[in-house]
Amino acid sequence: MPEPTPNDSIRATGSLVCVGLNYKTTPVEVRERLAFPEAVVPQAAKNIRELPGFAESVVLSTCNRVELYASHELPEAMQSHEALRDYLVRHFQLQPEHAEAMVLYKLDAAEAARHLFRVVSGLDSMVLGETEIFGQVKAAYKTALDTGSTGKTLNKLFQQAFAVGKKVRNETTIQRGSTSVGSVAVDLAERVHDLKECRVMLVGAGEMSRTCAQSLLSRGAKSIIVSNRSYDKAVELATEMKGTALKFDEWEHALHEVDVIISSTSAPHFVIKKDQIEQVMRRRRWEPLLIIDIAVPRDVEPAVNDLEGVYLYDIDGLQAIADGNRRERERQLVVCEQIIEDQLSKFGFVAE
Amino acid sequence: MPLTSIILLAATLAFAAAVVQALAALKSGRWKQGNTQLVLMAAGFALQTAFLYYRGEEVGQCPMKSLADILVFIGWSVVLLYFLVGSGFRLSLLGLFTAPLVTIMQGIAFAQGFKPYAVKGKINALVELHAAVALIAYAGFALACITGVMYLVQERLLKQHRIGGLFYQLPPIQGLAKAIRRLVGLGLVLLSAALAISFALHTPVSNPKLVFSWIVWGLYAVIAFLMWRHVTSPRRTAWLAVLGFVLPFISLWIVTHA
Repeated sequence: MPEPTPNDSIRATGSLVCVGLNYKTTPVEVRERLAFPEAVVPQAAKNIRELPGFAESVVLSTCNRVELYASHELPEAMQSHEALRDYLVRHFQLQPEHAEAMVLYKLDAAEAARHLFRVVSGLDSMVLGETEIFGQVKAAYKTALDTGSTGKTLNKLFQQAFAVGKKVRNETTIQRGSTSVGSVAVDLAERVHDLKECRVMLVGAGEMSRTCAQSLLSRGAKSIIVSNRSYDKAVELATEMKGTALKFDEWEHALHEVDVIISSTSAPHFVIKKDQIEQVMRRRRWEPLLIIDIAVPRDVEPAVNDLEGVYLYDIDGLQAIADGNRRERERQLVVCEQIIEDQLSKFGFVAE
Repeated sequence: MPLTSIILLAATLAFAAAVVQALAALKSGRWKQGNTQLVLMAAGFALQTAFLYYRGEEVGQCPMKSLADILVFIGWSVVLLYFLVGSGFRLSLLGLFTAPLVTIMQGIAFAQGFKPYAVKGKINALVELHAAVALIAYAGFALACITGVMYLVQERLLKQHRIGGLFYQLPPIQGLAKAIRRLVGLGLVLLSAALAISFALHTPVSNPKLVFSWIVWGLYAVIAFLMWRHVTSPRRTAWLAVLGFVLPFISLWIVTHA
């Protein structure tokens, strides 16, 4: 009796295939037309399973990717690729020229498993190592499971993928540290204060300060005060963020009440000075204060960082941290890929 | 080597292993909160408890008379408090800072040696209680000292923009400042209780011990007042919590040799 090959276990229950597109292969204006709305995904999974020669299916549809995972018993892998491609064309009623322009990756057996393991681990994401995708794949799998669209092959594959995703996260630091300026600001705020108790003030209502403030609020910051030269703009932003607007000549009086200041005015001189913050710190009874200065030219006198309990970061400082974190994630990528290869061997997808 | 020494050596090795494991993980940049630290700390604590039990059997009382015994008892109390308050922190990270202190304390205990001592008359339960509560109070001050070190490390990383592995694992400095206040408060309450018990003793505790206990109480009362009234910055109060522990630590050596 011949020795079983690594892929025999998959073939015994149906061949594995993955057809999809993502942010690397397809621009957003095409991706948005090919996205499955959440309510449609269960039916789509059922429809694919019912295609001739197909036994199981999982539909993964996020803002960055649309992927169809399936097992089939067709004699040729290419037939399954074509069937899934045709399904997408039919489902989205694509015109022939759009269908022709659609760029899909078509992966089989070990390649499909490797791809799923990379996706679950965040290695195929736009932001390397991001963790949101893990939950999205879990939700896609659960939807397929609930509709009875999965069987032995996909159940096993997805369970293995989740185990690999956890292993990658536990054994590497691929997800550590933020890679965008806004998220770095949140990381810093989290290491100074308990965010739930954190009061934020925006001095100036630029786009970057809005992004930082939104990141802080989404992670649970308690309240926000917006002050801007144009009071109308301050009111508009404060309303959007369910905060309070303050006239520009009043913001100094409220400084002692906040824990994080994000400054982004277009003033050509320092707006926040050492003497001013020294007084604020006395009124705050030395409670720590984080100041994020994202204005160019800078708004905050650098000597402010010399004051006890005050932590000042300017845009270059934030950018350097984000770049450092990105480089660290890239260094970890090699380790993650090795873990995935080891797991592919362990699960019998590739020969050891 | 007597059984008690073997048990204590095993406990010390468990804490030392926790330090080595944590430092290696930090150095490789792959520090993660895992179970290894917790298991090593729990093993060390179980062995410490066994040591105190057998040592108690050996000397016929709660082993708190010699400096070596006192250091082990405080080390045991520190780990006990670490498990009790750890859930409010990043447990394994507090372990990273606790384990070295306990390793050093037990190392000094070994260097001092465990000599037998005779029981003088009937054991007074109140005296034992007074001593035990006072030593647990010292453990509270030790943990405040450890938390102070954590605060100073995190504060330095923030000031110098050195955002790396350890930074992401340490709790927010505001939380650490609160923890220092609470641990100093806890130690002070326990030491007050120990001193209150001393008033009820028929056989008064020997003078140098009581005098030093009152000095330590006075020092921490001042520190607690400064913290409570926010007279100085949290960084200075963290330094006070760190340096303040030097006094009780030295006083133990003095009173056991007096």
